[in-house]
Amino acid sequence: MLKSWKLKEVVLMSLFAVVFGIVYLLFVHAANIWAAVIGPLAYEWMFGIWFIVSIICMYIIRKPGAAFLSETMAATIEVLIGNAVGPRLILSGVIQGLGAEAVFALTGYKHFNILVLMLAGIGSAVFSFVYGYFVSGYAALDPSFVALMFTIRVLSGAIIAGIGGKYIGDALLATGSLRGYAIAHAKKGDVNA
Amino acid sequence: MNPSVKFILVTLSMLVIAFFFNPWTPLLFWLGIILLQLTMSHINWKLWLLFMLPFSIGAFGYLWTTVVFGAETGGTIIWSFAGIDVTEEQWARALSLAFRVMAFSTLSLLFAFTTDPVKFIMSLMQQMKLSPKLSYGVMVGYQFLPVMKDEFTQIQQAQRLRGAETKKYSWQRLLSMRRVLIPMLAGAVRKAERSAFAMEARGFTGEPRSAFYHPVQIDRTDWLMSGIFLILLLTSCIGGSWLS
Repeated sequence: MLKSWKLKEVVLMSLFAVVFGIVYLLFVHAANIWAAVIGPLAYEWMFGIWFIVSIICMYIIRKPGAAFLSETMAATIEVLIGNAVGPRLILSGVIQGLGAEAVFALTGYKHFNILVLMLAGIGSAVFSFVYGYFVSGYAALDPSFVALMFTIRVLSGAIIAGIGGKYIGDALLATGSLRGYAIAHAKKGDVNA
Repeated sequence: MNPSVKFILVTLSMLVIAFFFNPWTPLLFWLGIILLQLTMSHINWKLWLLFMLPFSIGAFGYLWTTVVFGAETGGTIIWSFAGIDVTEEQWARALSLAFRVMAFSTLSLLFAFTTDPVKFIMSLMQQMKLSPKLSYGVMVGYQFLPVMKDEFTQIQQAQRLRGAETKKYSWQRLLSMRRVLIPMLAGAVRKAERSAFAMEARGFTGEPRSAFYHPVQIDRTDWLMSGIFLILLLTSCIGGSWLS
């Protein structure tokens, strides 16, 4: 899978993972404080933030694996920085990344419009919810409460990760630093990119 | 202890514990982990307590939401409060979830406090056969952390110098984060390109290799610790089911 990747793309992904790893951790702390007040519902509406790096990386690099690897890397960086959620984060990163990756794979890595990006956010949301259902024991909660959590998380994935991811990707493209990556070629209509 | 082995053990026990909904299994496991940490490792307990604090609060949040929003399960009502009847079953489940949060965070802290990040990546590459391209990519990112921090303050200072106002409340500052985020990401793109070229210029190909400058091995302690860990896991699973 990595054969077709240039080294600069791998390093780019890793640096993005660093930036977003820090952002993620900030939000983990914010969410933990919230959660103490209103319970697990606190995490749901901001869940999209934790999916964003896979959307941005896929939007820029456009190669199979970009969503999965970047999310996993971000989780690994979070663990490397040292935090109390620990190695379990890597597993949730893998699962969230797979969710987004699945959507991109279904579209054949050909379309990167807003709809697909939002769907990818939803994909992450669904995957992470199934995982969370299992690990955090949502099964012990009232089904209607679980349904509410699920709806909020899907919306958050679509809006924050999907729309927000595209917005950041476009803003970065406008700075001109992305020459040499697939996103810039695509805008020029270069098919070989 | 080998970081990869530790990583697998920690992940495995989290997945196993997730199957149990009685309060005893996570409690036993939690106490066991603390005992392990007390006897086998030297860590800064003051820092440990500080890190555990938010999780204890989080566990409490779980406790009361499970009591209030928990699935209807029936059983004897043990106490009621503000019109909410708490049944025995619900209470057990709420306790179980809260202890699970505590057990998981203790386990995570065990990993975080005793693992050297660089060694972890090296071990992932050497024992788990992670591609060198990826592992060294992550290492580059990790080494850039302090640089990123400097850049963050630099961008903020530059913006303040040009008269960009700083918002008063922290939530407003959180929303205006994109103003700093975009330049930082643009800088990251350029740094990535530069360091990738530098690595390639020095002959980094990303091919799998058989010899390493810093070999990380699996030795006897790893087997011993894995044994102790698995026994603890098994005991808490069986003991938990038996006690409830």
